[in-house]
Amino acid sequence: MKKFLLYIFKILIVTILVAVLLDGLYTYVFMQSKNRGKIEAVVNSKKEKYDVVILGSSRANNHFVSQMFEEKGLKTFNYGMSGGHLFEASLMLKLMIERKYEIKNVILEADLNLSNDQESEGVAAKFLPYIHCSNAIKEHFLTEENFNELYYIPFYRYIKFDSKIGFREVYKIAENEKTNALDNLGFYPLEKHKNGNMKNNIVNLNPLPHNKYYEEIKHICKKNNINFIAVMTPMCENVVGMNYFDKVKKAYPEIHNYENVVVENKYFSSCGHMTSEGARLFTGRIINDFFKK
Amino acid sequence: MFFNSLAFAIFLPIVFFLYWFVFNKNKSTQNALLIVASYYFYSCWDWRFLFLLVFSTFLDYFTGIQIEKSNSEKSRKFWFWLSILVNLGFLGIFKYYNFFANSFAEMFTAFGFKASPILLNVILPVGISFYTFHGLSYVIDIYYKRIKAEYNFIDYSLFVSYFPLLVAGPIERATHLLPQVKVKREFNYETAKEGIYQIIWGLVKKVVIADTCAVYANAIFDNYPSMNSFSLILGAIYFAFQIYGDFSGYSDIALGVSKLFGLDLLRNFNYPYFSRDIAEFWRRWHISLSSWFRDYLYIPLGGSKGGLWMKIRNTFIIFIVSGFWHGANWTYIVWGFINAVYFLPLLLSNSNRNNIDSVVLKWNLDSIRVLFSILTTFLLTCVAWVFFRAKTITDAVLYLKRIFTTRDFAFQYLDNERYNFELLLMIGVFVLVEWNNRMKVEPISGKKSMLKMALAILAIIAFGTYSDYKEFIYFQF
Repeated sequence: MKKFLLYIFKILIVTILVAVLLDGLYTYVFMQSKNRGKIEAVVNSKKEKYDVVILGSSRANNHFVSQMFEEKGLKTFNYGMSGGHLFEASLMLKLMIERKYEIKNVILEADLNLSNDQESEGVAAKFLPYIHCSNAIKEHFLTEENFNELYYIPFYRYIKFDSKIGFREVYKIAENEKTNALDNLGFYPLEKHKNGNMKNNIVNLNPLPHNKYYEEIKHICKKNNINFIAVMTPMCENVVGMNYFDKVKKAYPEIHNYENVVVENKYFSSCGHMTSEGARLFTGRIINDFFKK
Repeated sequence: MFFNSLAFAIFLPIVFFLYWFVFNKNKSTQNALLIVASYYFYSCWDWRFLFLLVFSTFLDYFTGIQIEKSNSEKSRKFWFWLSILVNLGFLGIFKYYNFFANSFAEMFTAFGFKASPILLNVILPVGISFYTFHGLSYVIDIYYKRIKAEYNFIDYSLFVSYFPLLVAGPIERATHLLPQVKVKREFNYETAKEGIYQIIWGLVKKVVIADTCAVYANAIFDNYPSMNSFSLILGAIYFAFQIYGDFSGYSDIALGVSKLFGLDLLRNFNYPYFSRDIAEFWRRWHISLSSWFRDYLYIPLGGSKGGLWMKIRNTFIIFIVSGFWHGANWTYIVWGFINAVYFLPLLLSNSNRNNIDSVVLKWNLDSIRVLFSILTTFLLTCVAWVFFRAKTITDAVLYLKRIFTTRDFAFQYLDNERYNFELLLMIGVFVLVEWNNRMKVEPISGKKSMLKMALAILAIIAFGTYSDYKEFIYFQF
């Protein structure tokens, strides 16, 4: 039995060694990634200068046409992330500050995402390879339930989120396979879809009275002398529960309500996401209201 | 509690420790601990079905004794049929009732009658097909006086409910397992080490091969109307490896875990995809079920002793029943039927026992013929697997039809953001490893076992699929 227990101990040691080695290897590969996504691009960069940085979910990613800002002479990048919540938007801004970015304006899409202050697992996972290399990321995840496993167990984070940061992603980085996440200065244009869902029900959605990550973003901007612009972006015509936007306005009076700027369904790819044509109308209005020289 | 879960990783060492260090006084304490552990293991799915398991165990235990004690043939028959009918009754109610009710209703509707069947809103108790077959084999063996009835309820319960085999087999025989539980187990280092090898290799099969193949196979099968010929062929191959990795992986873990407790279980898989014909495939795939049907259905029906038609009839019965055992769906029945059709030429030409020995290749023309027959057998099983995997027979037929009608062999991008060919390399490596170790139970043992163990652990950690978690397929049967 003693021999067997010793054998099991050896296997455990081998397992830990393999996990540590793999962790190091994967993290090293992720540190080389620059053209796969917005998070990697920010982590592996430093001292960028921006006139405008756009943050939020897909409703930022698909709605703010970065080129239109650039045409006005404003160096802009759309860091909106599809599926992302304010948890990730806040962390993205923290990372930029940590990387010594100089930012004049932050436009935050703050509407439906105000209803929760949870992480979006799929998006948040993409920060995890860098958890040992960035204090901002470590601190941000510190309050998460599974922080200890993610931080202290070697390779655990790569196993837990293998579909996002696992072997396939590492292989693609090593192969230098590019994604379109960084094209169009981060803006992802949508087309009109024949079968796009043009109905939405947000009756049960309520903005949190003090969304932790929204307040965090506001606070970071204030601390770093960044002009903070929070906006609600448009939804299609057939939305049940449109008073949600009034509730947001009531809870957060500083958020500008642009929900009604574009309403016609022809400008929408799906109910919550405008086509590039709709995005241009909307962005034009934002530039006109906030950046008219 | 799945074998590849964290809960099991905690459960197993605790039971192992208690078994060898606390409850190791005699076989009774060892068995009592394993029974408690097994019932806990089972109750982790649904504690309510524990009553069914205990009832089923008690029924077979009691009827077994009554059969042995009976003085008259009439009484023996009574207890025998009582056990058979109640066991099959449970299986029928939980597993097949809704299927039959729906099928009859559809048949009546086809003839113009209106029928709205009364359906049962019950979930299938996990492992019912397996533990029912344990009990049935035990009672049948007593009835035919092949074994003596077991009078120790704890020992008998352990035979039925032993947790490594409880939910997905292998389907044990009283002649094999009961004698082992009747004696105190002594720890054996080499056996336990073999167990660890099997557990690790089983995990490779499950999380690296089966669960990864599942991601691709599901993307192809679920969207088959938009898939081209190449993707559909790959989909069938991926599913073939998914089900093999899943079920044989489970069996390997079960056998490995059992070895840690000093109990040897029946081997369930013997590299079935290296078979040279369908008969050999069925001697290597789910061996405990195939042999169960052979011994308790095929031979009682007359086996191959009767005339030609008798042989053909019995062959079709055993394959169709075997298909139906897997699930209450016509697709499984057709899957069984197709396998019977594959088997028929071998039966008629009396060549179904031609390939008994292991495959040995040399640098000659005969080896090319052998490789060709292995490939042909694999392709035939893949066609049959399409019926096993598809939701309906129509889906399966359309799936196969599209392979021949689209004639497009380009690489497709699947809706789960993966290319349909990505997995082929991994499968290729897996097949090579298994091929080179086909004379052994698993590939880790032998020379440089620690290095091979490290590579297997590396594969599990780095290449396993975890976020898209899959249950073991055979749990649903």
